[in-house]
Amino acid sequence: MENPQEQSLLQMNLDYDGGHILHETVRWSRFLSIIGFVGISLMVLVFALAGTALAALLPTLAPSIAGLADLGTAIIVVVLLFVFAILGFSVFMLYRFSVLTRRGIDRQDQAAFTEGMKCLKIYFITSGIFAILGLLGNLSSLINLFLINRIHP
Amino acid sequence: MEEQQIPPVPQDLENFFNIAFDSATRTHLRQAAVWAKISTICAFVGYGITLVVAFIGRPEVTLETEGASITRTISTTSILGTLIAVAAGTFINYFLYRFAVSSIKGIDSMDSVGTNQGFSNLRTYFKILGICLIIGLCFAALGLVVFFAGLGAASRY
Repeated sequence: MENPQEQSLLQMNLDYDGGHILHETVRWSRFLSIIGFVGISLMVLVFALAGTALAALLPTLAPSIAGLADLGTAIIVVVLLFVFAILGFSVFMLYRFSVLTRRGIDRQDQAAFTEGMKCLKIYFITSGIFAILGLLGNLSSLINLFLINRIHP
Repeated sequence: MEEQQIPPVPQDLENFFNIAFDSATRTHLRQAAVWAKISTICAFVGYGITLVVAFIGRPEVTLETEGASITRTISTTSILGTLIAVAAGTFINYFLYRFAVSSIKGIDSMDSVGTNQGFSNLRTYFKILGICLIIGLCFAALGLVVFFAGLGAASRY
């Protein structure tokens, strides 16, 4: 069985450079997350105040999701709330990453550091899912383009 | 004999060495890097598709009188805007891709230098995003000032 000393020699530690780099990373990610919170709050406020007018403008503003306009206001509201909730969760994870990683480094708290890395993982998983959905949207627009070209060459 | 004074080690420096990339941390970081890689690959493919759509897609506005010049202006502006957006997106996502590749390599080979390189790229990625956000906010604030100044001038006349 490995003794603790041998184990500590085998494992990777955060060195001075790594700590310094992480400090800066955490600072920028906290800034981004705070701006993200403000941005999402503003978007929710705008939709709450001018939701009806924006729903009417939806086909002009975002032609790719214009089909949503036919589904009715209630469904649009539910979809938008769902999207805002996921975006908010993603931004919250980025904020937690910055706070916990910083705490882990400053207070020598291994558990907080690990939890920070877990939040970074969740943040990137959410980003990855959004990126896959975005790619599917792009692919659908490409297919639409080829279909239109085939019908009206 | 005079007792030699040992300068105290700064708290931050000391702390760095006590934080370890243990098994759980490495797993989380590796999965974060894998998802970051998936995200960037999707973004790169998406940019390619956007370019194809921008170049092949025809403008929907066609006017009989002076139609040629208007249509061409719309098309050129749209392609230029797409090119700028794709170039900026590729530049930003390149750093995220580098973070993913360096971190995975560093964790797999238990190399802290590789992991540090990964974090350095993540720092650059967040930094560029932050700077872009600051510039965007400045433009938004400027737009608001111009808008309210215009409103004020219009109400005077």
